[in-house]
This record gives sequence, structure tokens and C-alpha cells, in this order.
Amino acid sequence: MRSAPPIVQSAEGPASAATMLQMPRIRLGRRIFVFYSCAVLLTGLVSMLFADLLWRTGWSPSGVVLLCLFIVLFLLIAVGCMNGVFGFILRRTDVRRLTGLKDYRSQIIEGTSTALVFPIHNEEVVRVCEGLRATYESLRATGFLDRFDFYILSDSTDPDKWVEEERRWFDLISELDALGRIYYRRRVVNEGKKSGNIRDFLSTWGTRYRYFVVLDADSVMRGQTLVDLVKLMETHRQIGLIQTVPALFNAESLFGRIQQFANRLYAPIFITGLNYWAQSFGNYWGHNAIIRLEPFMQHCDLPQLPGRRPFGGSILSHDFVEAALLLKGNWQVWMAYDLEGSYEEAPQSMIENAKRDQRWCQGNMQHGMVVCARGLRGVSRVHLASGIFGYLASPFWLFFLLTFNWMLWYVGHTGLSKITVRPFTPFLRVNGTQHALLIFSLCMGALFLPKVLALIDLALDPPRRRAFGGMAHATLSAVGETAFSALHAPLQMLWHSQFVAAALLLVGVTWGAQKRAADGITWSMAVRRHWLHTAIGLIWGWAIWRLDRLTFWWFVPVVLGMVLSIPVSVLTSRSSLGKKARQLGLFLTPEETAPPPELAALQARMAKLAAEHQTDPQPSDTGIATVVLDPYINAIHVSLLREKGQHPGYAQALIDLGVGHPGVRSLCEKLLTDGPDRLGPGEKMLVLSDADSLPWLHRQAWLRPSDTLARWWQDQIREYAR
Amino acid sequence: MSVTGRIDAPGELGGRPLDEWNAAYSKVESYFHALRVRNKVLLGQLVALVLERAMERSGHEPQRSATELAVEEMDRLVNEWFAEVLQAPPAGAEMLSTRGRLALLLADMPGRWQDQFLRPGPWPNDFVVAMRENYLRAGPDFQLVKMTPRPLDLGPITTLTHFSHLPFVKMTATWLLFGLLLVVLFYLTHH
Repeated sequence: MRSAPPIVQSAEGPASAATMLQMPRIRLGRRIFVFYSCAVLLTGLVSMLFADLLWRTGWSPSGVVLLCLFIVLFLLIAVGCMNGVFGFILRRTDVRRLTGLKDYRSQIIEGTSTALVFPIHNEEVVRVCEGLRATYESLRATGFLDRFDFYILSDSTDPDKWVEEERRWFDLISELDALGRIYYRRRVVNEGKKSGNIRDFLSTWGTRYRYFVVLDADSVMRGQTLVDLVKLMETHRQIGLIQTVPALFNAESLFGRIQQFANRLYAPIFITGLNYWAQSFGNYWGHNAIIRLEPFMQHCDLPQLPGRRPFGGSILSHDFVEAALLLKGNWQVWMAYDLEGSYEEAPQSMIENAKRDQRWCQGNMQHGMVVCARGLRGVSRVHLASGIFGYLASPFWLFFLLTFNWMLWYVGHTGLSKITVRPFTPFLRVNGTQHALLIFSLCMGALFLPKVLALIDLALDPPRRRAFGGMAHATLSAVGETAFSALHAPLQMLWHSQFVAAALLLVGVTWGAQKRAADGITWSMAVRRHWLHTAIGLIWGWAIWRLDRLTFWWFVPVVLGMVLSIPVSVLTSRSSLGKKARQLGLFLTPEETAPPPELAALQARMAKLAAEHQTDPQPSDTGIATVVLDPYINAIHVSLLREKGQHPGYAQALIDLGVGHPGVRSLCEKLLTDGPDRLGPGEKMLVLSDADSLPWLHRQAWLRPSDTLARWWQDQIREYAR
Repeated sequence: MSVTGRIDAPGELGGRPLDEWNAAYSKVESYFHALRVRNKVLLGQLVALVLERAMERSGHEPQRSATELAVEEMDRLVNEWFAEVLQAPPAGAEMLSTRGRLALLLADMPGRWQDQFLRPGPWPNDFVVAMRENYLRAGPDFQLVKMTPRPLDLGPITTLTHFSHLPFVKMTATWLLFGLLLVVLFYLTHH
């Protein structure tokens, strides 16, 4: 391990402000007690009212089930509400924020080395490279570029993507003069998915660096933010990981812009609230975070879980567990909740959002195996449990509503009287309907209070208010976002319930090919994805209408989202509507009203490349044509394969794949004479992995008479005549 | 009279129809396009150089097409030039070709040195250095270490993961489910 560089103390003296994040454990325990006690107190009071309502209409086993579900579900709402309330109070009163810490700014980072890693898997290559370019150029502007290396860590399994990644990587290093600064590595076997990809990097080059920053394929980070993160790590040697809070950006569809607006408006108070009780026992979200390499390598190689899927095997959502293991190893995990300059993109439609949720759901459900592990910090268990309940809440809600419907049916079926008795609370002078309305209002209050507080927080911060397009526009946008959330929530409930059930029953949820129109989700795609939601909404609504007309109106918000799922899904995926909303000043975010230089540069580059049709989807097998026919791409590809052969692990994996086997030459012959259509995906990958066959293919494709080549090759060669 | 010095019949070059040489021209030109030789004068000169060599062979190998001869000559010419510029030890044509093409790219032949491509030496020193000394590195030197997962005691959950392996558990669970079904049936038929 390299020796650490000298630490320079700030001229303003030792880091008094840093004590905020390094407080004694007893004080931290007090914070957790206060925070969760507030949530429990609120839950207790509202649950009491709910129990009283059930008592008025007569106790039954179904009523007990309903009450238990209500307590669990309201506790989750109350925790969210408290995050908002505490976050708001802290933002208005507490000046000791992370950006307020003076002690790290003068820290010297000359002796440090940090790797920025971009794990990718069949991603949109142009966007990955341009995001990297934006981060690189922003970092260069700080003057600290020489302290950082960039790694594109590919796990791509699509031959076309593989070749495109190599081509774009070379273009990038040529244009930025970054040979030896931006590296590219593709694994032969993508064992362990993303976490395996990062572990492979750590095992191969990890010892060269003191820190590494994990970025997603769509991440962008400001250079100064990266420098600040390294300085913070250098100053506070007990930190194992600092997670930034990425701001969503670059959304064009209405759905994307609504999500982006919600993220930018509400996240600050929620994360500040979370940080109140988590402090140096924070969490890791898998990207846009800096990690101290040595403890990570020491503590965070994840074990295989016993048993079978969905709970056994490799840990899918590795990030929460890695944070828990770092904390278990007595390292701190911070959340840089007010450090700006960290960005990511979000799904642009409800369907894409649900696809992402499905992946996360599988991973979070698996945390049920880890949550009771011995030696974990209590706070880590809270983070893990919160992740689990984030998805488990949906089937609970569904079960709650169905139980309520069952009770309604039962009363109607048996002819029992609906006459209520007086509540046990003498202060409540309300009838049954008013009592129910009171509980409903309290639930809505707990749900919407953080949103109102976020708006008040905005109103009290003039520069931020202007960045959101002014108070009137922000308020109108928040109302619009709330209305959309009301329509979206029932769908989320159905989707998440389906994902949880599928995960538990080991049933895969297939999505099929995503057919995006030029402007979002097509109507046919939406019908395929939402017909069941619509049918459930119609049948459920009809059934409740038959059961009880009054109750029907209470259920309108639930069934309306389901019934309207198809048009809502299509229309919110449209970028034309997103643009229209922007013109009206709705759902504006600071990144839209005044784009920071790194994002402005990225958007300008992407627009230029789109105008040059470089972002258009490529025809199938373009990668094979390029790697065989293009003299330079062929040479780059072969050179990288030969370099890979020097790594014992990769070399063995290539042999296991079949590289060097005489059969590969037969495949090459088949490729030339019959064209790539006649090769399976595995065969194409094998040919592309063989460093000896590719130069041979290049020569043969150019030297052989045209009539001995497949028609497809003749057409591809003709492309070079232009 | 053709470039080879022999007298050609009308409509022929090197004893072959003009169309055949046209096809050869296109193929050779395509390859130089692929190498990003974009200057039209240089491109024309290079293609003519290759075709001249092909025409010299044309009379001796009448069974082979002009295109075949031309691309072979192009391949040979390029590889000979690579060997000379790179001062490469004898190696397989494919190995040399790969190295040469990579060197051309790293030296930025398409941008800076188009006029030097396939030209006999001596070449400018900068060009020679760029061709011989640049190399592509996709990553720094490997420094291999092994990460070993630490055992994680999953606590009471471990018991649950082994629960299904306990004897008679599945059978007992089936009976319990059956019993539950009976209770539900009884309840529904008696209320």
C-alpha cells in the first residue's frame, strides 16, 4: 500500500464542523431513537383511530388482518413523512452541511490515485462515451486530471456492441489525447454481473489506486465534485465510502421530466432527513460514489448465499450489502447529501421504469437473507429492511384493499347491519363516515406533508426558487406531479406485487423486445403491457360499484389509474408533451433552467452526433462487418485480444470458450461463404474472441474473389467504395 | 501500349478487358478508402502503382482475374512497406499486417502522413518514430490480487434455507395445506 500524502490542516483550524458526521455513538443512538419514535408515535395514534373505526363496525378476524396491514403500511408512510419533516427543519436551521465543512478544501491530493470505473453491459455506447468525455473534460478543467484514471469495464455480450465500444473508445482517446488515461477492458465471461465486473477490475488493477469512483453508464460527475470527494476521503481517514445524491437530468418525455422534477424538488429534504439519523452509517446506491479501495477489497467480496434462487446464489443488489459490510468492518459510510455535481438519467416511460423496478425488486427481496446476518450494524439492518419493504409494501397494499373488499362483501352477503356504535374515544364526536374521512385525511397528510415542506423550503430559498422557474410554476408542477403519482401508484402496486410474487415463486417476468416509436411507447406496446391492468381496474371498479356505491367513490383513485393505464403510459412517454410542458414552465429543474457546463457540453455533443446520425440504431452484424473489413478496427480488436491473453484468468477463460480450437477456422469459413446469419450468437462471439482468426478473416475478406464470398460481404465491401 | 510495355488490343489492358481492370481498380481503391487515404491524387497514384504490378503478372497468370491479382499485389506491397518501415523481423503476413495497420493508426497516417504511405524511404524521422514507437494499451500493467469473500454468518435465516431439506417437511406442509383447505371449505359452507 502506498504511503498516504501529507495532510494539511486548514488555516481555520481543526475540523470542528466534521464532528457533525463523527458524533459519539450514544448521540447517534439518541437521534435514531428520536426519529423513529416520532414515526412510531404518529403510527400509533393513527392506528388507534383506525382500530376504533373497526371496533365501531364490529370486530372480525378480517378486521384484525386489516389493522395489522394498516399498522405496517402506515409506519412506512410515517417514516417517509418524518424524513421530510426532519429534513425540512435541518435545512432551515442547520448550517453545518457537508459543503460547509472547511477542513477538507485545502487538503492536498497530489499523492492520491483514483480510478473512475464505468461498468457497462450492452449499453448505448455513444452516450456512455460522451458522458465519460463530459466528466473527463470537467476534471481536466480542475487541473487534477493526472490524479485520475478512467476505465470502461465492459461486460457486453452483443458482438455489435463490443466492436462499437472498442471503436468509440479509440476515437475518444484520440480526440482527448487520453491514451494511457482512459482504458477499456472487456471481460471474457461476465460472471457475477456488475459486482463481478467491479471485482474483476479490483483484482486486476485495484492495488494501483487508493480510491475508486463507480459510475453508471449514464452517470456524469463534475470534476470539482470528484476532487472534493477525494479531498474528503483524504481528510477523514475513517471513511470507507461517500455516496453522492445524483440529480436526474436529460429527461425529455413527460414521464421522465416529472420524475426528474420530483427528484430535484423532494430529494434534498428527504436525504437530509435520512442523513439526520444515519449520519456516518449511510448507504451505498451502487454508483456515483467514491470508495476507499483497501477496506473495500478486504471486507466486501460478497459471499454466495446458501440455498437456491431467488434468495440463494450471487447477491444481486450488491450495493446495500457492501455498505453494510464496510460498516461491519468499522468503516464509515457517508452520504454527501448537499454536494452538487453528480448526475444520472432516469427511465423515460412507465414501462421502462417498471423494468428497472423488477431488477431492483429481485435484488432487494434477496436482502431478506442478509438482514439478520450476525455482526451487521443496526442501521444497516434498517437500510436493508427499508429496501425490502419498498417493494413488499405493494402486495401489502393490494392485500389491504382486497381484505377491505372482502369485509364489504361479507357484510352485504350476510346481511349484517352496518350501523356503527360510538367510538371509544369520547372526544370524537363524529359518525362513521366522518371517522373514516378523518383517518383518510391523516394518511393523505402524512403522504403529502413532505411535498408541501419541500415547496416551503423552495419558497425560502430565492436562488433555488428561480432555478425551478419561480414559485408559481414550481407549485403548479408539484400539483401536476401529485396528480400523476396518484394515477401511477395503483400501477406500481400491481407491478410490484407481480414482481414480488414472481421472485418468490421463481417465475421470470418477460418483457420482450422494447419497440419504441420515434416519440415514446407505441399504442400496441402499451396495450400489450397494460391490458391486464385495465381489465383489473374495470372489473374491480364494477365489483365495488355493485357492492356499495359510496365505497366506489373512495376507490375511484385506485381504479382510475388502472383503467387509464394505456393512454397515460403512451402519452407520458412522449417527448413532445415533455417539451410542451417545458415551454409552459412546468416541471423545470435547475439543470434545465441553467445547465452546468458539463451537462451543457454533453447535450451539445449528443445533439451534434444525433444530427450526424451517429446515434441511430445500427443494422444487425455491423460489428462483424466492421471488425473484419476495417483495417484499423481489426487491428485494434486483435491488439486488445492479444493484451487480454497476457492475463492468466482471461487467457484461461478464452481457452474455455474454445479459442484456438481448429473448429474456429471452420466457423470463419462459414462466416465468409455463408454470411453472419448462419452463425449463432455464441459462434459469433467465439470468432470475435480469436486473435489469430481475425487477421486471417480480414485478409481473406479483401483477397478472395467476390463470387466466393457471401452476398452480404460483397455488399459490405461495396460500402467502402463510397 | 499498356503500362507493362506490351501492345494491347483495342478495349484491353494487360491482355484483359477494360471492365475487368475497372473492377480491380474499385476493389483496391475500396481498401485504400478503408485505410482512410482520402487525398484523391495520392489515392489515384497508389491504385495505379498496385495495378501496374498486377498487370505485370497478368500475362503469366491468365487463369486468375485482374481483381485477384490486384488485391494480392496490394497486400504484398503494403506488407513489404510495413516490414521496411517497422524494421520488423520476419513474421507471418497476418501478424505483420495487424501490427502495421495499428502503427498507421497510432501514427495518425490518415491525418498527418498520407503522403508517406507506401512511399519508399527515407521517411521523415517523426513519422518513423511514430510508426515504430507508439503502441496501444487498453489498460496498465496487471497487478493481480485475489479477493476472498469473508464468511458471513446469516444467523437464523440459515436455518430457514436448510428447512426444506429436513425430513418430511414437504409432506407435512402438504398435509397442513390440505387441512387448511378443509377449514376454509367448512367455513364457507357453514356461514
